Parts: sequence; C-alpha cells; structure tokens
Amino acid sequence: MTLNSRFGTKAGLAALVGATFLTGAALWSAGALAAGAEGAPAKGGTLVYLEQQAHTNLYPPAGGFYPNGGILNQITDKLTYQNPKTLEIEPWIAESWTVNADATEYTFKIRPGVTFSDGTPLDAAAVAKNYDTFGRGNKDLKLPVSEVINNYDRSEVIDPQTVKFTFKKPSPGFLQGTSVIGSGLVSLKTLALPYEALGDATKIIGSGPFVVASETLGRELTLKVRADYKWGPAKLEHQGRAYLDEIKYIVTPEDSVRIGALLAGQADVIRQIQAYDEKQVEDEGYLIYAPSTRGVNNSVVFRPDNPLVADVRVRRGLLHATNTDEIVSTLFSANYPKATSIIAKTASGYVDLSQRLSYDLEKAKALLDEAGWKVGANGRRQKDGQVLELSAYESLPQPQNKETLQLVAQQWEKIGVKLNVLTADSGSAVVNNLDPAKAPVSPAMVGRADPDVIKSQYYPTNRNVLLQKGGNSDKVQAFVDEKLNQLLDRLASEPDRAKRLAVAGDVQNYVVDQAYAIPIFEEPQAFAAAPYVKGVSFEAVGRPSFYNTWLAPRR
Amino acid sequence: MSRYVIGRIGQAALVLWAAFTVSFILLQALPGDAILIKFLNPELGLGPEQIADIRAAYAADSPLPVQYLHTVANFLTGNFGYSIHAGVPVGDLILANLPQTLWLASLGFLLSVIVAVALAALSALAPFSWLRAFVQSIPALFISTPVFWLGILLIQIFSFQLRLIPVINPGPWQALVLPVLTLAVPISAPLAQILMRNIDHVLTEPFVAVARAKGASHRWVLWKHVAKNAVLPTLTIGGILFGELLAGAVVTEAVFGLNGLGGLTQRSVNDQDIAVLQAIVVFSAAAFVLINLTVDLLYPVFDPRLRVKQGAVA
Repeated sequence: MTLNSRFGTKAGLAALVGATFLTGAALWSAGALAAGAEGAPAKGGTLVYLEQQAHTNLYPPAGGFYPNGGILNQITDKLTYQNPKTLEIEPWIAESWTVNADATEYTFKIRPGVTFSDGTPLDAAAVAKNYDTFGRGNKDLKLPVSEVINNYDRSEVIDPQTVKFTFKKPSPGFLQGTSVIGSGLVSLKTLALPYEALGDATKIIGSGPFVVASETLGRELTLKVRADYKWGPAKLEHQGRAYLDEIKYIVTPEDSVRIGALLAGQADVIRQIQAYDEKQVEDEGYLIYAPSTRGVNNSVVFRPDNPLVADVRVRRGLLHATNTDEIVSTLFSANYPKATSIIAKTASGYVDLSQRLSYDLEKAKALLDEAGWKVGANGRRQKDGQVLELSAYESLPQPQNKETLQLVAQQWEKIGVKLNVLTADSGSAVVNNLDPAKAPVSPAMVGRADPDVIKSQYYPTNRNVLLQKGGNSDKVQAFVDEKLNQLLDRLASEPDRAKRLAVAGDVQNYVVDQAYAIPIFEEPQAFAAAPYVKGVSFEAVGRPSFYNTWLAPRR
Repeated sequence: MSRYVIGRIGQAALVLWAAFTVSFILLQALPGDAILIKFLNPELGLGPEQIADIRAAYAADSPLPVQYLHTVANFLTGNFGYSIHAGVPVGDLILANLPQTLWLASLGFLLSVIVAVALAALSALAPFSWLRAFVQSIPALFISTPVFWLGILLIQIFSFQLRLIPVINPGPWQALVLPVLTLAVPISAPLAQILMRNIDHVLTEPFVAVARAKGASHRWVLWKHVAKNAVLPTLTIGGILFGELLAGAVVTEAVFGLNGLGGLTQRSVNDQDIAVLQAIVVFSAAAFVLINLTVDLLYPVFDPRLRVKQGAVA
C-alpha cells in the first residue's frame, strides 16, 4: 500500500496535481527556476537576513509565527517533504510510508544514517517520541499539542527504522501534517526541556542543513552549515550540504531601515516588505518574493453570537457592500491576489466562488432593509432603537490590516453601517477579540497547504474564528453551527481523497452562503532579496528555505 | 555617617519592596495574562481543555497571595522566572538587554550634558545678542524634533548615502555613534533650558550685583558664582532624565534595531509578559534609587552649605 491508495485513483491525483500546478505556479517559483539556470552554484559565504521581529518560542508546533518558521525551516527536517509546486507529499526523513484504508494507521520507514546535530540518531524511536509529544502534548513540560495533528492516539517502534502511528479516528490530513514547519523533528534532548526554555534557539537541536551557532537574545542569530548533511528531500536536485556557510538573522524592526540596508548592500534578504514599498525595491533591480501561504484567505469574519450580526441577511448585506477590488488595488500589489473563495486558489480543494462574492451595493442595501435595518435620520441603519455599529480589532501580524479594516469601514459607511477599527496592545486585543460582544467582526487568516486548514480556522476547539460555544471563548452565549462543524469533522476524517476534496468544496460554499466570512485577499509572505542571492526557495506555506541558496558574485 | 548610610539603604529597600508590591498588584489587574495570550492566541489553535491544562501547569489559577509570596521568594533568591512569550529565563533577557542600555544611556547622557553646557555657555557668553537669541531657541527646536525622524534621517545620511557607518553588523563603537547622537538631542534640550534659565535667574541675584560692583568681569562672575548655583537644579533634572533613559529609549532602540530595556519593556507590555515586567519594574526602581542616592551625595560637592548640614547628621 503506497501513497496513491490514500489519494484514491491515480487519475484523480494527476488531475489534482495538474490543476494545482497550473494555478499555483506562482511568480516566485518561476524566479527560482530561472535562478538555477545561471551557472553552477558557488559554495560559501554568509547570508545576512533581516527579520522584522525577534523569534519567540521555538517548540516546533509554534513554528507558525513567521519569524519562528524562518528559523525552524533551516534547522529541522521533516518526516516528509511537500513539494511546493505540486503540493505532493514526497520522501524526506521517511523513505516510504503506508497508510491503511481508513487513514487510522500510518507506518513510516525512516532513512538510515540520519543524525541530529548533537550526534544522536534520528531513528524510529526519536520520531515516535517527537510525534507522541506533538500529538498529545506533555503536561509536565507544559508542551502544547500541535494544531496540525488530529485524533492522535499512539506510536509504536516496530524496528529501529520503522515507526507506526495509530489514530483514534481517521486522520487523512496527517501525512501532509508530517511535512509542515510545525512538525520539525528535534532531538530527545530538546524534547526533554520544558516549554519555557525553548525560546533559546541554541537549545533547538534538529537534523537540518543548518545548526544554531550563536544567539544574542532578541537581536541576532547565527546559523552554521552542517558539513555532513546528506539527507535533503529525496527528489530535490541539490543533495549534500547547503551552499552557504552561514546565515545571520538580524532583528531590524523598522521597515525603512530594512529596505535601506538591503539597497545599500548591508543585507542580502529581508522579510516583511509592505506592498507600497515593492516598487522602490524593484526599481533598484532587487527582487520581491511573495510566496502564498495557501491556506484560509485574509478575511473579515463575523461572530454571529452577537445579535447585530446574527441575521444572515445582515452578513450577506455586508459581504456585498465590501469592495474587495478596491482594497486590493488601493492597498496591495499584484502579489496579493484578490480572494475568490475562503481559501487560496493555490490551496488544495479550492472552488471558485467569485460569483457569490460580488460587490453589489443595491443588493446590500436591499438585504439590510429586508432584515429590518432601515436608514435613520443620521444616515445610520437602525432597528428597534438600536444602531448597526460594529467593532473589529486590528490584527498586527497581517499586512496593512488596520488600513484594510479602515477601508472596509468606509465601504460599509456607504450603506449606513459603522465599523469601528480598534487598536490595542496584543494582550488586550487577544482577550477582547474572544468576546463576540466586543468584537462582532474580526480579521482572520491561517496558512497550511492541506484542507485541514479550514477545520483549524473554523472548528470550535481549534482557532474558532466565528466564536462558537464550547471553544476557546467563555464569553459566547449560544452560537453553534452544527452543520458547519459536521462538515469540518468530515473534512478532517474522510480518508478518501476525492470525497475529502468534495467536502472541502461544500465547506467553502457553506461558509460563503452563510456569509460567515468575507474573503479579501490571498495572503503571501513578502520578502525582498538582492539580485545576487540565487536559489531562494519557499516551502508550501511561504517560509523561506535556504538549503539551495547561494551567493553569486556581486556586480 | 553609618547611620545615614543605613537609613538610606533601608529607605531604598522599602522603595523597592513598595515598587514590587504595587507593580505586582497592578500587573495582576491587567485584563489578560501572558499565558492566556500566548496559548489562547488562535495561532496555536489549542482547545479549551488543553489551555486549562496549561494554566494548571503554570499554577496560574492559584490564589493571589500564594502567587505573591512565591514571586517574592523567587526574587529574593535571584530567580526572576521565565518569559512566557520569549521562552527564556527573565534573567537572561535582562542580561541580554542591560549592557547595551547602560552604554547607550551613559553615553547619550554624557553627550547631552556636553551639548547642554555648550549651549548654555554660548547663550551666556556669545558676543552678539542675535546669536544669543538663536542659541536660546535651539532647545525648543531639539525638543520638537521627533526622535524617530531624526534616527531615520541620520541612518539615511550616514549609513545609506555616505556609507560611513553600517547599521547592520556594525562594530561595537559604530553601533553606538548614531543612536547616541539621536538620544542626546532630545535629552540635552531640557538640560540646556534649565541651565540657561538658572543662569539668567542667578544673574539677577543681589550677590552677583555685589561681585560686579567689586569689579568682577562677566566671565568671572559666570564661572565663579553663577555656574555653581545653576548646576544644582540641573543635576536633579539630570538624574531623572538619566533614569528615564535607562528604560525610555524605546524609539531609538527600535529604529536602530538595538537591544535594550526600553524595547523589552514595550514588547512585554504588549504581550503582558508579567514576569518580565515585574523584573523590569524592580530593576528600574533600583536604578532610580541608586541614581537619586548619587545625586543626593553629589549635592554637597557643589554646595558647601549642604556639606555642613550633612556633617551635622553624620
């Protein structure tokens, strides 16, 4: 039993791969291919990489935070490799695997001879320990469960190179889950540390092509190449050690300083560049990379527990009053494609719902009128003495989120609805954002290249962005959508690939039909690099990989 | 003398304890806490039971007096706890940020004193009245210069255009030049202003008129009488400004990407990382106590009258 059995028919797989390739061959992959054609890679050199924020806890399941992922992706390897172009799962630390028919048992054959940088073997026992920790958490060490692993039961070491995982319920997303940043394999020494000690990068011992050499907390991190590295993803052209000798991460919070330093030749790659700065950088002959995060699009979601947005007609009205084209063209660039569903075009299971996401002011007004919200004397919509006034908290990590929300507020103003865009320290924002009374509207997005990502985003015991009862918020009075949750459950436990993708389509349709979310744009992670930096690549959700990167002579 | 010193130390300890306790209470009153923010944050996608488990593991739900005693005991043994957000011991965080802050604050302060004294001297001694007026308007200009803008401007000119000093990977001294300049401008302004105003004030005192009547030159009067008298209030303000510098260079640190207590404080407030904030408050209180003690001890050096008084105490 091989990979294909899990995906259903070969034809179905081929069609899927073809489709994702056509739609998903983004700008950056073309750039990466072109770079490869420019002569043989040169070995050596230090890559200076400017980060916007310092990394936080590097426990691998916390790798979703952009700065964390940018580090973990160089120092840890994963059981499998998700080809960022085809989204196919390919061998890496696991040479091969089998999955039973209902996706409750996964058996992996571990590549022999792999070691962590502390010299200990990366064998079946180490893999088992990693997944027991990620799948179940560790109360004593305060290590939380990984978001990408659903229904985990236990591991079993069959022989030194074979490990078998058993699940309580079907877990078809698990194979892809073994390829993500959050599933980076670390040594037993690292796994024995309590959660609060894992912010020290030097304690994160992986088997990756780079090793943490030194760290100045909150300021600088130096990675050194691992000369004996010879277990890169099997299908990559490049094998053996990485080309660079060193990568230096320097935290440089100020946007203009990062760009200035890049253009002045003091840095080679910078993370986080705003859309309005792209032109300046490109005009100087530098490159913008904007790999898609391929998950749930950057959206505005509603919290129907709040009576103001409990009526689907109100939500639909606001959906049609939102001019996504205007947002994308005013605030963003071509690297931020307009959303045409709740997930990105490049995500697996995507269906095009652009027809149902139209900007239509007349329809919007009619829907709100129908729901009983009439325009009052002051131009605001009112009903039973109540004004339709909503609030949303800005989300700091999302690009130009405040500006986006403010533009949405201006657009809603046209039909007499007020949206207050609130800013708070992230502490208060997290707490208030979990209260439907305080935040009936909320910005939301999450990246992961597997349909499970939709469940992560909407399911009450995961991210719960709609704030259903029984989830991470104790402020919710009653709102639960059983139908949505059933769909999400099926999505996360349907072993048949084709059926699962059909469910993914159903969920997208349902969320848009209920107007729970207004998708705005497909969020990339934006980088800029000097032209002499070759072979920059990105994993499936836009975290940089410098395994293949080399420095051509500067002109 | 020893009674004086013991009294001062006792006072300092009391201030520290008060700072600790008040900050503990205030920090507990914040709407969230670091554990909540770290783990409730949808980014981790944890379920409610998992969050409850983690809260239990951190003993976050134990009664406040217990947490208070626990924290006091830890602090007394030099254990400042862990930063939930950064995932490292608070002591390491403080150590990683303190040296740079001390250097930046000391050099920035030193430069601002030099600038302030130079401005005050110019304003008192400049030969033309238009020049004096111009010099006297400089502090107002300095104080209204946005630090953020100034920092970016200096980087643009000296690092990106002239390429004299790299901002990325600078040497230890190179790293300090531009930030120290940036810091000195806003700090020197109030110092210069107070110095100038006091010089003007002292110049109108009767004893100056007496000295002048005895035939003393303007320069001699300024140096012998006015400067010493004008320095005292400046010293007090200077102490406060220096204390502020230790935790207040947030903008400068952010622009230049420097480590420092200012930025650490800002980030910790943002993440409500209580353990870090608690340690910073205690550290800052200690620094203020120390600086004020130094200022108090310096007073008699400048004013003999105080010397006599203190002698009487000792």
